[in-house]
This record gives sequence, structure tokens and C-alpha cells, in this order.
Amino acid sequence: MARRTVDGLMRGGVTHVVGIPDNMSGPLFDEVALHAAIQLVTVTREGEAFAVAAGLWLGGASPIVVIQNTGLLESGDAIRGTAQRMGAPVPVIVTGRGYQKMEQSGVNQDHALTRELLTRPDVDSTALLTEPTFNAWGIPFWRCSAGEDPVAAIARLLDSTQALGIPAALLLTRDLD
Amino acid sequence: MLTVAQLLGPLARYRTNEAVVTTMSVVRPWGILSDSDLDFASADSAMGHAADLALGLALAQPARKVVCVNGDGSMLMSLGTLATVVGSAAENFILIVCDNGEYEITGNQPVPAAGRLDYSGVADAAGFRVVYRFDDAGAWSTEVPEVLSVKGPTFVHVITESGTQGPIGRSPAEPARYLQHSLSDWSKIMRTALLESPEY
Repeated sequence: MARRTVDGLMRGGVTHVVGIPDNMSGPLFDEVALHAAIQLVTVTREGEAFAVAAGLWLGGASPIVVIQNTGLLESGDAIRGTAQRMGAPVPVIVTGRGYQKMEQSGVNQDHALTRELLTRPDVDSTALLTEPTFNAWGIPFWRCSAGEDPVAAIARLLDSTQALGIPAALLLTRDLD
Repeated sequence: MLTVAQLLGPLARYRTNEAVVTTMSVVRPWGILSDSDLDFASADSAMGHAADLALGLALAQPARKVVCVNGDGSMLMSLGTLATVVGSAAENFILIVCDNGEYEITGNQPVPAAGRLDYSGVADAAGFRVVYRFDDAGAWSTEVPEVLSVKGPTFVHVITESGTQGPIGRSPAEPARYLQHSLSDWSKIMRTALLESPEY
């Protein structure tokens, strides 16, 4: 699947993958590292990925950011003040930590964010906060869950982001291996 | 110790087709010295993200030198970017840090470890290929051509004087042309210049 995904990125004209790997996106990073046609830029903090990507776009490249949703929560002002404020159509793949746990716990993003819910050990609050954060920050997003084809979803993300002219995201809650 | 004018004057004099990214206290002074479409003000943007944005630009434009004139407070906000620069091995990237020990724009409050943190030492330890440190205007002026031509990544630590620059906005009333446009509009102008004007 990671190989198919990288092929899809190449077909979509992606020149740089910028981000930090996690267990879900690790196979994608490994695969990108094998391809000379796409440059891998590993950063030290997720907010940095958006500034690097904005600079790449400014210089004529076509980057995609790949981060975990924990890193999304860290990235607010970097997204707002660089790619979004510049009107840079930077597509973002956000891997969704905590979604399985959230589903197993029988809760979802529609539940009130009470102290009880946010501190429950069987619920990963990262998943609870991811989609409200996208909405609060004006980042259009789509979800790709188990059973859905990530290659097709990424192709749609690339097209939609170009049309929107601002960063937009694909929330990936399935593995790529 | 250099004034901002002593730092930027020689840079403007020797600059040819390099892209220049500025932020914080040097944004307005640079915009007075230079009127190039290849200047980018990281203003009305995100503090701490000038260096990483400039790195992206350098990676997209490997045949062109990209200079970032960063502040010490901004550098501290994303010190990890030093590792990202070294990891990317961008030979065309020149990162200048103005070390005046303060958050000048917000009223000259001291940055953490002001006067004690050795930025050039940190950059050297991080693995920058070339590292300079200047606290003398004459030495800087003499070395600028070499700084702009040497194979990087290059880090330039400049000890600068305290200044009086205030908050930076974007409006048609700004004397610097790159502040007369929104960040989005200027990004289009600069991107077009980079992609469609080979004379740059």
C-alpha cells in the first residue's frame, strides 16, 4: 500500500514529503526515501513542516505535509501564519492516533468535552480534539477509514487543495502497510 | 556590535539574485534598502517560522541562494530548525541570526539566556557546514561576498545593538513595498517572479 501511495503522490506531481513519521505513516516515509523523484524533508516539530512546505510552494515546488494528529494540535499558529495566510494550497495527511480507542470506548467527537471525558484513560483525547480543531482553524478535511482506498483519497485531496487555495487535510485512520 | 544598518547595508550592496527572507526588527529597514520581488517579509505571519520557511524556499530553488535574516527570539522559538537545515543539506541556504538579546518589537524584553547563549556555537555543534560570528561592522562588510558565495548550509551569528522597531503591519501606507501587500498577494508576486522571470 505504501508503494501505491507513493506512486499516487508522484502521479499527483508531489515533489516533497515534509513531516514526521509515526507508526501509521512510517511505511510511507520508508517508501518515499527510496524514490529520487520525491524529496523527503524530515522536520523536528510539526509546526515546522507547514513553514517548510509554504516555502517550498513559494519556490514553485508541490509539497505535501504528513504528520500525526498529535502534531496537528502543536501546529496551530504555524499553519495559520504561513501556508494558510499565504494562500498556499498545501495538502496535509494527518494520521489519526486514538481513533480505534475512541470507537472501542463508544464515544465520538460529538460528546461534550467535559473533564470526565478528557481525562478518561480508555479515551485518547487526541482523537476527540482532532476534527473540532480542523473546524476551528478553518482547515477543510476528509476522512479515510478502514475499507477506503487511501490512494484515491489522496488523489482527491491533491485536487481539492489546489481548488481551495489553502491547506486542506486528509485524516487517515487506517494503516498504509 | 553592529547596528541594523551596518548589518543590512553591505548585504544589500552585494546581493544579486538571492532571495531574502526577513522577520521582526529587520523587516522595515530591509524594505527601505531593497525593492526586489525576491524579498519576503515574514510579517503578519507566524513568529519563529522565518528560518524554516526560508529553508523550504531554498530546497525548492536549489540553484539560487536564499538568505534568511532572523532574530534571536525567533530562532529560539524553532531552534530545532537548525537540525532540519543540516538534515536537508541545503547548500544554498544562509541563515543570519541577529543577536541583540531582546524581543525588540514588543518593547525590548530580554530573550532567555540573553548574552549567554552562543548561537554560532550551537550552529557549529548542529553541523552547519560554515559558521561565522561577527561583532564588528568592518569585518562583516569585508566578508559579505564570501558569506554569499560559500557552499553551505551557512550560519551567520551577528551581535547587534538594541533597537526601537515597533510592531509590523501590512498596509499601503508602509514605505517598504513588500509590506504594502497582504501576505497572500505578496506570495503570488514573489512566486511569479521566481517562476516566470529568469532574469532574476
